[in-house]
Amino acid sequence: MNLIELKNIWRIYKQGPETVNALRELSLQIKQGEYVAIMGASGSGKSTLMNVIGCLDKASAGTYLLEGQNITQRTDDELATIRNKTIGFVFQQFNLLASMTALQNVLLPLVYAGMEKEKRLLSAKSALKEVGLEERMQHLPSELSGGQQQRVAIARAIVNKPRILLADEPTGALDSNTAKDIMGIFNRLVDDGITVILVTHDAETASHAKRIIKLKDGKMLDDLML
Amino acid sequence: MSTIELFSIAWQGILSNRLRSGLTVLGIIIGIASVITLLGIGQGAKMEAEKQVQALGVNLIYIRPGAANTASISQGQGTAPTLTYEDALAIKQNCPAVENVAAQYTIGFQVQHGEQNTITNVTATEPSYTDIRNFYPVSGRFFNQNDMKEGSRVCVIGDTVALNLFGSDNPIKKQILIRGELFEIIGVMEHKGVTQSLDMDDQIFIPLTTGYATLIGLNAVTGRSVRSILVQCKKDEDMQAQFQITNLLRLRHNIHSPDFDDFTLRTQMDIMQTAQSITGVFSLLLGATAGISLLVGGIGIMNIMLVSVTERTKEIGIRKAIGAKYSQILSQFVIEAVLMSLTGGVAGILLGIFGSTSISQFAKWTTVVTPESIILSFLVSLAIGLFFGIYPARKAAKLDPIVALHME
Repeated sequence: MNLIELKNIWRIYKQGPETVNALRELSLQIKQGEYVAIMGASGSGKSTLMNVIGCLDKASAGTYLLEGQNITQRTDDELATIRNKTIGFVFQQFNLLASMTALQNVLLPLVYAGMEKEKRLLSAKSALKEVGLEERMQHLPSELSGGQQQRVAIARAIVNKPRILLADEPTGALDSNTAKDIMGIFNRLVDDGITVILVTHDAETASHAKRIIKLKDGKMLDDLML
Repeated sequence: MSTIELFSIAWQGILSNRLRSGLTVLGIIIGIASVITLLGIGQGAKMEAEKQVQALGVNLIYIRPGAANTASISQGQGTAPTLTYEDALAIKQNCPAVENVAAQYTIGFQVQHGEQNTITNVTATEPSYTDIRNFYPVSGRFFNQNDMKEGSRVCVIGDTVALNLFGSDNPIKKQILIRGELFEIIGVMEHKGVTQSLDMDDQIFIPLTTGYATLIGLNAVTGRSVRSILVQCKKDEDMQAQFQITNLLRLRHNIHSPDFDDFTLRTQMDIMQTAQSITGVFSLLLGATAGISLLVGGIGIMNIMLVSVTERTKEIGIRKAIGAKYSQILSQFVIEAVLMSLTGGVAGILLGIFGSTSISQFAKWTTVVTPESIILSFLVSLAIGLFFGIYPARKAAKLDPIVALHME
């Protein structure tokens, strides 16, 4: 069974008088444990695709099956629950809450999940350990380097044991050495059985993946298994 | 997600911008503190007014003559000589609902003792005055029926007069001149203070009969005229007493139609109601002023919450991306607003209590902070937080996570 199955997905925006077809009749299957890179120039629809897969956005037409369930018609709150339990996000700009320590940032998804306080703390600490940051968990994001902040963000993404990790240009704001470390973490997560989907325009980053999907004008141009 | 958790998230939100939250809270503090203080002043004024009316005596009816007319110009209520000492005696004899009666004639005179010299009110009245007014001598005695019969030249002075003429000396048995007439002081009245704009302590009391013989004289038409008659009714019989007095006086003055009454009756109830309606308006004005400052404080909260939502759009986006539901974002911002307004409310209540205590200390005004006004202020600040917090919170909760995430 496919973990993610998109059938004839359209995503149409209205921008003033113009309509923009960000995704045009796109179909795609991703299995559990795959390591996928979605590539394309800016405006190719790769971010829109990530938003649709990540349940941040809803398709205008078509069907989205996640874990075999049709989630096309789910309400906003139901999608929030899916984002909380099934999907983890890593962003180019880290998107940590500046007023909270590393630990508090990692705890946050568990707070929204309604997990008990002690279990929560154990999970968050083990997630921080997995990214090698347990020493610095009481620091604010502003006291951490870019690479460390991205590790906190990864810890936050994986703390609730999601099946899918979506990373949008995760190394875009990092130098090449740090980027290598971060990609190393992704490789380990794939080995642990998490489905990792990278969105990037950088061939170097994409080369870590085992499957590369190329988009152009909202359509699939190429689907390469490496 | 537990309520405590929601509160702790909201609390972190408040702490993440301390200065702004502090200034917002300040608006509510000032609003609530002025409500507490101004209501305290209003309540105090009301209590003071009631106390003064109570101090005049209980179950009282004041009878005053109508206005005298000089060449068709009214000289004002109470100036006609139509009410007489004989009327007072008749009321005492003929009205069963009446407990006690004291006729009085008050007039201003110059009073001398040695080199000291003052102008004061001389009240010529009857011995029953003390019981009716609930106003007694603190040293010496008041004049009695015997003094009335004899027309003795004795007087009882108020404590302001005693201070003005004698300083710290004992005035008893001393002689004073009232408009040149010699009187012996037999008593000094207790301190009573100012009631109904009359300084009760700046008065000299003499027997009514002595008054007619020496200072007042007789009216050419009506003889022993009086300026007012104080009547104390029997308990719970004020209505009967008013009815009996009115009828008796109409009969004695040959009045057939109420339109031609040459006297007026005022009860203590009337005076109390007047005082209450004045202090009521006073309280209302103060309350309205305070209410406006609270409203401004509330708008301040809404303003800041709106700014906060705009400024924290990205934060909201992040929270939504990691799984916060509509209700969770909504409660975060509503609770933030409520926490700020409640903090302001509690601090404002404390400041208000401090403010009204200071006012009574320094300005010598009576202020009363009632539990009701504290509870009211607390509930109002809660309501302000809810009311002005909901709109910005809804705005936050409805944000599209994608748009919010791409905000810088």
